[in-house]
Amino acid sequence: MQGTDGHVVAEGLVRRFGTIEAVAGIDLVIAPGEIFGFLGPNGAGKSTTVRMLTTLLRPTAGRAWVAGYDIVEQSDAVRRSIGVALQDAAIDPLMTGRELLALQAVLHGIPRSASHDRGQVLLEMVGLTGAADRRVGTYSGGMARRLDLALSLIHEPQVLFLDEPTTGLDPNSRFAMWEELRKLNRERGTTVFLTTQYMEEADELTGRVAIIDDGRIVAQGTPAELKAKVGLPTLQVTMGHGQDAIGAESILMRFGEPVPAPPGAAAVRLEGGASGVAAVVRALDEGKVLLEGLELHLPTLDDVFQEATGRRLEGAEPVTAEPEGQPQR
Amino acid sequence: MSVAVAQYAALSRRSLVTTIRQPRAFIPPILFPLMFMALSSAAFDRTTQLPGFPPSDSFLQFLICTTIVQGALFASIAAGSDMAHDIEEGFFDRLIASPVARTSILAGRVMGSFVFGFFQAWFYFGVAALFGLTVEGGFLGMLGVTIVAAMFAAGIASIASAFAIRTGSSEAVLGAFPLLFSLMFISGLFFPRTLMDGWFKTAATINPLSHMVEGMRAQVITGLDVSEWLSAVVIAAGFFVVGLTLASLALRRRLSVSS
Amino acid sequence: MSTSEVTWGIARRSIVLITRLPSAFFPSLMMPVFLTISFAGAFSGIVELPGFPAEKAIDWFIPMTTIQGAAFAGITTGMSVARDFESGFYDRFLASPASRASLLGGTLLAATLRALAPLCLLTFVAVVAGANLHAGAMTIVVLGVACLGVGLCAGAWAVGLAIRFKSTQITPLMQSGMFLAVFLSTAQMPIHLLTGWLHAVARVNPVTNVLQLARQGFLGDVTWSTTWPGLVALAGMIVFLVGFAYRGMQRVIP
Repeated sequence: MQGTDGHVVAEGLVRRFGTIEAVAGIDLVIAPGEIFGFLGPNGAGKSTTVRMLTTLLRPTAGRAWVAGYDIVEQSDAVRRSIGVALQDAAIDPLMTGRELLALQAVLHGIPRSASHDRGQVLLEMVGLTGAADRRVGTYSGGMARRLDLALSLIHEPQVLFLDEPTTGLDPNSRFAMWEELRKLNRERGTTVFLTTQYMEEADELTGRVAIIDDGRIVAQGTPAELKAKVGLPTLQVTMGHGQDAIGAESILMRFGEPVPAPPGAAAVRLEGGASGVAAVVRALDEGKVLLEGLELHLPTLDDVFQEATGRRLEGAEPVTAEPEGQPQR
Repeated sequence: MSVAVAQYAALSRRSLVTTIRQPRAFIPPILFPLMFMALSSAAFDRTTQLPGFPPSDSFLQFLICTTIVQGALFASIAAGSDMAHDIEEGFFDRLIASPVARTSILAGRVMGSFVFGFFQAWFYFGVAALFGLTVEGGFLGMLGVTIVAAMFAAGIASIASAFAIRTGSSEAVLGAFPLLFSLMFISGLFFPRTLMDGWFKTAATINPLSHMVEGMRAQVITGLDVSEWLSAVVIAAGFFVVGLTLASLALRRRLSVSS
Repeated sequence: MSTSEVTWGIARRSIVLITRLPSAFFPSLMMPVFLTISFAGAFSGIVELPGFPAEKAIDWFIPMTTIQGAAFAGITTGMSVARDFESGFYDRFLASPASRASLLGGTLLAATLRALAPLCLLTFVAVVAGANLHAGAMTIVVLGVACLGVGLCAGAWAVGLAIRFKSTQITPLMQSGMFLAVFLSTAQMPIHLLTGWLHAVARVNPVTNVLQLARQGFLGDVTWSTTWPGLVALAGMIVFLVGFAYRGMQRVIP
């Protein structure tokens, strides 16, 4: 199937490293102008997939098309159409921001007359005009990422690939980056393919998201659709001092399916939705269960992940603050 | 007393064993002098006929002691770099915190280099013998040479350790390497001093390495010569004394800062 | 045309970076100067050998140490490429539409240009040390041609390795390859005074002809008969080594 329907199409993309299958069969159809997310934990195969789509890695099997061009047979054309900002912004600390922009322009065949103006516009867009003539080694992490974004846009690509664009950034820089990307997508219609390990990022930013684990897509759709499928809210109770959660668990189990919870707590997927909370509280009270806390979580993409894989997205178990003196379970 | 000896032995053994367990660390320091020896003996073979050249059968016979000194130098610098690495990794601090005698820490490293210097000298003699080396001074001559090599190795190891203790950086120790290599060139190590002239000859004559290697060389090309051997021993011992002093001072300073 | 823009842009970056980190550059300049002093000083006696083509040791050794310096300049260019791969910076080049040939060309141009630095410095040293420039300016011209050629070859060798291994751990192989190529020839002794296996190896080593090309002005007149074998040797090495680098570039995407 040729990629004329959408800007990024992948069919059965596989990548093996020796005996390890990092990507085990990925199918994608991304329409022009979408912001598409790849959500998954470390080692899920996100970066490997991006490297294949950006022609930096050859697939072991399968095919893909970016902006209508085959990534293997027509890799030059693909490179002309894409902007790339990979993990650990590929920057040279000894060069200045402006020099890097000039170099990037040269790589894309932009004539010198145009590249200076274009560079200026981009520097303003990412807020680096002041720092442009300083060596990149003096930039903060956030500034380096912003420069990387500017560099990836110098030739006005149709598709932008971002590999974990906000990992390691402080919340302000993260929000600023999100706003930048939304604006870009809105004003220029640039298709954005981004990978992330943060569910908030997928939630806030993406139009559609594919959840990837162990080299395979385990769920795909808009964040709203995916969360609706998981459907039910999660009720979590935290025990008081000295109490174990077994008593609470056995009571809660009457109200829905148990789900993993941190030590000293119990959680279930609440049948009947949020209105069932009152009944649960009554039952716990009758059972003389002393609670310290009760929380109602609406479904998140982490729940979607957990439902598909049995694990939590961010770490094996959520970490909650233990009160002083409480022994670890 | 026997506890101290046991400590010395244990740390010496560690120094030696860790070196041998990392082939990548000690094979280049062994291969490079060998390669250099093969190349130079082949290139400069004709020069032994020059008037003023010391009475050698071959350039190999002239050069073997240089190769031994080179090998000892490289290996000992590596030992110093290892000590710096220990400091970087915190092993050094663990030793300080333990009941091990302070001097054992240094002595262990130095003894390890002494033993390594001794055996690598025999190794080079062995390889050279395969290529037709004859030693005029016989077994005793070789023994004399290898003892000087061992002392020299211990001396350089203590200097390198002093540097390691002061800087705590293996990169800094290895960075001294080109400098030492340079000093080796301005000496009678690679070519006879008798065939040099001008300021270079003067500088080479001042360089103690020239006299040390010439004392060793005499045992190989002329025959057993005690006075020559003693001058080599004195110089090697000189390196050792200087090195130990510097290292002890450095160790004392580091310990007073940390304790 | 944009290919030449890319080539020049990459070469320019390589050269500008030297000025940004002079501490990395200094040793590569000091090394040939130091070798000159050491070799000419330690081995000065060899000119007394019957049939030795030079009157003074400095005349004999300075062309060789300059060539060494040029080769080392080429190797350091390859080391920069290896660092770029390690840091991920090279992805920037590979994900762009710049042709692989122009990417390679830029690096090789940088290697060649960097060889000019030791040439200039050692020309100065030669004059100061009173070396015999028998053929006047031509002495330096032929030395320069040899340096540029050697810089390109060493650069191609090192870059070819960098592209294949994508790691600075291959640096010892870059350096030892260069070292062996230069020293398994007439680096230290003229060919007719070599014997045994080294004589046999030096006879087939193209660097022998290159050293002859480089040295001729210091030993006598610059003639065509002592020049063309060096040019042929350089051409052969360039074709072979640039081919090595280019083939690596064609397969750079894993």
